[in-house]
Amino acid sequence: MATPRPDWREHVERDLGFVFHTIDGAPYWDETAFYRFTAAEVDEIEAATAEVEQMALALVAQVVKTGEEAYERLRIPRAAWDAIQGSWQAGEKNLYGRFDFCYGGEGPPRLLEYNADTPTALFEAAVVQWDWLEAVSPGHDQFNSIHERLIDAWRKFGLGRERLYFSSVKDHAEDGGTIEYLRDTAVQAGLVTERIDIEDIGWNGRDFVDLGNRRIGALFKLYPWEWLVTEEFGAPLLSGVTKVIEPAWKMVLSNKAALALLWEMAPDHPNLLPASLEPGGIEGKRVRKPIYSREGSNVQVLEAGGGVITETSGAYGAEGFVYQAFTPMPEFDGNYPVIGSWVVASEPAGMGIREDSTAITRDTSRFIPHYFE
Amino acid sequence: MKKSRSIRLALLGSATMVLAACGEDDQVPKDAKFFSDVKDCAGVYSESVCLDAKTQSERDYLAQAPRFSRKEECEKEFGAGNCETPQASTVSSGGTGFFMPMMMGYMLGNMMGGNRFNAPVYRGVDNSAVMARNGKFLNVGSFAGAGASSATAFRPATQVTPVSRSGFGSKAASYRSSSGS
Repeated sequence: MATPRPDWREHVERDLGFVFHTIDGAPYWDETAFYRFTAAEVDEIEAATAEVEQMALALVAQVVKTGEEAYERLRIPRAAWDAIQGSWQAGEKNLYGRFDFCYGGEGPPRLLEYNADTPTALFEAAVVQWDWLEAVSPGHDQFNSIHERLIDAWRKFGLGRERLYFSSVKDHAEDGGTIEYLRDTAVQAGLVTERIDIEDIGWNGRDFVDLGNRRIGALFKLYPWEWLVTEEFGAPLLSGVTKVIEPAWKMVLSNKAALALLWEMAPDHPNLLPASLEPGGIEGKRVRKPIYSREGSNVQVLEAGGGVITETSGAYGAEGFVYQAFTPMPEFDGNYPVIGSWVVASEPAGMGIREDSTAITRDTSRFIPHYFE
Repeated sequence: MKKSRSIRLALLGSATMVLAACGEDDQVPKDAKFFSDVKDCAGVYSESVCLDAKTQSERDYLAQAPRFSRKEECEKEFGAGNCETPQASTVSSGGTGFFMPMMMGYMLGNMMGGNRFNAPVYRGVDNSAVMARNGKFLNVGSFAGAGASSATAFRPATQVTPVSRSGFGSKAASYRSSSGS
């Protein structure tokens, strides 16, 4: 346990512009506690992150090569196949992703899921916990060079003077804050940036345009590809008229069926959990997750016989489910942490820890800072 | 060391650019025209209407134009050479230690219902003419060249074809949740 800085709210709002520290009246940023790691533990998380990212990229290559059969197993709509293949073969760069690992210091980090397309909790990890450590214990180190790496990564996108539009849904403080932070790093990398709500993007029959009817040539969207492709403007977006970040090939990784394909590709890998698309494919206690879902919705924990032990509510699951072997989450004082380990430009970049009082991490979980020694 | 050596924020936090929310709708009247000064304007509207619009636009500019703590941040948004520090005598509060885009003139037109519409116009990237509206920047036209700002050097934006919007966002609305994960 730790004593929060007395003026932390005022400080993070005024000096960092961090406004979503409290969500629906409940604390989200929580500095009444912190996690302390050893350097060896951090090295292990960093190595696992690098390893799993390479496997994920290998999976994309394999899926693109396999084609139809693989896309169908991943429940990716046919309309998106060409865009996925095209963006992958063109070598379109990706910015970032977050692996969620189960790790308690004993045994290797095990991948729970990969948030490859629209990961959040970025600003908290990159800036707010860094700022916290500088204030409370600047002599300690932290697994977190996310900020520097983001600026560096933007420089390598080859955007030149192309205006890059940052987009998320209207009136959502957390997504808006994440977008504004990413835009901040892009500005520092010398890019020309704009901001537009995703609902405000216009289509004039030839180009996507902003509210001033200027062409949108490059778009960073904090909005899932699997939603974009089914919406009204999905077809023109998939035609490649606008450069999109994350690139379309991230659709291969942003759905949880990829967990089963990863396991098939690298069975018994120490950083993976057994996963299958078949209900009977995993023996013993297991977790059923919707192929497409967000923020821990519609997750069931099943006992060996198939009975439901716990579940979360939600509106997801229409595309089917993936079954993953259950692994007990480490517990600290009645709290269950998940390690969110970041890659920027496919390199390990840092981590943020989210903690929940239940074993399923949801959007109500709290962000807890860390350091290591 | 695995932590960032230093972190600076260009847009967020105390360096944040302040966008004024005016709470009106996004519409710009179709008859709105750009004027660089009262002389330009007096050929279209009466001199008193022109003077009122200019005075009101200048007031709006000082109260609502985006402010940046560093010149380079302002120039990233509005283009090199298009930002300035306001003179102390014109700013009523908040000091002068910040940068703003330059006001090149104002738009003046008629709203539905008969009210006048007027708003300051800034010079943006590539000699675009930029107007802030409801927290967003609208490109309302362009200037003929770097030094040009008169009404004759102004070219209104042409709308290529009717633009449809709201083609994205329906899924988020149906789930009423974050798009992030």
